[in-house]
Amino acid sequence: MLRVKEGDEAAFAKLVTTYQDRLISIFRNLVGDQEAAEDLTQDLFLRIYRARHGYEPNAKLSTWVFRIAANLASNSRRSKGRRKEVQLKSSESGPLGVRPAEKLLADKSSLMPSRQFDRQEMQKLVREALESLNERQRMALLLHKFEGMSYADIGEAMELSPQAVKSLLSRARESLRTRLENMIR
Amino acid sequence: MDQLSRLTAEQRANLVAYLDGELGESETSEIESVLAHSAVARNDVEHLARTYDLLDLLPRAKASEDFTERTMATVRMSDVRPDITQSEWYRRARRGSVLLLWTLVMAAASSVSFLVTRKFVHNDADVFVRDFEVIDRLDVYREVDSVEFLEVLSGPKGAVLDDIRTRRGRETVD
Repeated sequence: MLRVKEGDEAAFAKLVTTYQDRLISIFRNLVGDQEAAEDLTQDLFLRIYRARHGYEPNAKLSTWVFRIAANLASNSRRSKGRRKEVQLKSSESGPLGVRPAEKLLADKSSLMPSRQFDRQEMQKLVREALESLNERQRMALLLHKFEGMSYADIGEAMELSPQAVKSLLSRARESLRTRLENMIR
Repeated sequence: MDQLSRLTAEQRANLVAYLDGELGESETSEIESVLAHSAVARNDVEHLARTYDLLDLLPRAKASEDFTERTMATVRMSDVRPDITQSEWYRRARRGSVLLLWTLVMAAASSVSFLVTRKFVHNDADVFVRDFEVIDRLDVYREVDSVEFLEVLSGPKGAVLDDIRTRRGRETVD
């Protein structure tokens, strides 16, 4: 990053290739689609590039990058909220959404202990469980799982104390455990 | 501890941190002791660990092939300062400035011309304005027909009557 600060374009390209997949993975699991994730990642790199002159190596580069990512994700969610966009799933595209009986059937089906989950279905359930968490829990969980970041680093990236991260992750994992109970029996 | 006793809220919160290796030494031994004695705790910790493993199913997205290239191009573009002389607002502002400049020049020229004319060119109308009171009463002045009477008129109050009486007296004597 210090080379980037001095205007080394090749160093910046290296930084992009090092972080692009990691960031897109996180954004993809936060916002739900690849295109939006790539747009956010590109926006993030642009911010890093514009802020390069003011960069001070006080924290780990990855922590700094993921701090920007956390802010960006939060801003993106807020602006999305302002636009009040409602994205319906294909199964909810009817004028009245999912009928209660259908929902009951689906819920019952997923509760059957003998049910065999194929990988795709499991993926879907895990994704839905993740989506049920609030944004901060999701971000903390993804940083921990995907990036292997310590509570202290997550705290630095999300501007929280390690104790707050501990509590955030504990609640997130308890919540996931409840939602995914049928899959882990 | 009872094999089936429930965990406290703090112990439950610590289970996750224990799995993540984020507990201090004393808290770790406390949790290990709880785990050794409580089947419920062991079950909980096992479920938490398996739930966490399920997150491996989440998609690890990859950037599209041209992502790096596009990003670098965007970054380069952000470095290029746009030529403002080519922008529409610049052209409009420039046109407006020229118009404003010409207006100011015209106004200044008009003011200077007015002042010069007023100072150096004599106008016949000025004489009329200056002598308006005399011109306005010219007919009356012509009727008077005597400069002496005019002098009396411009004199102190009552002088006109005295003058008339004097003249009449002189006419009676004659």
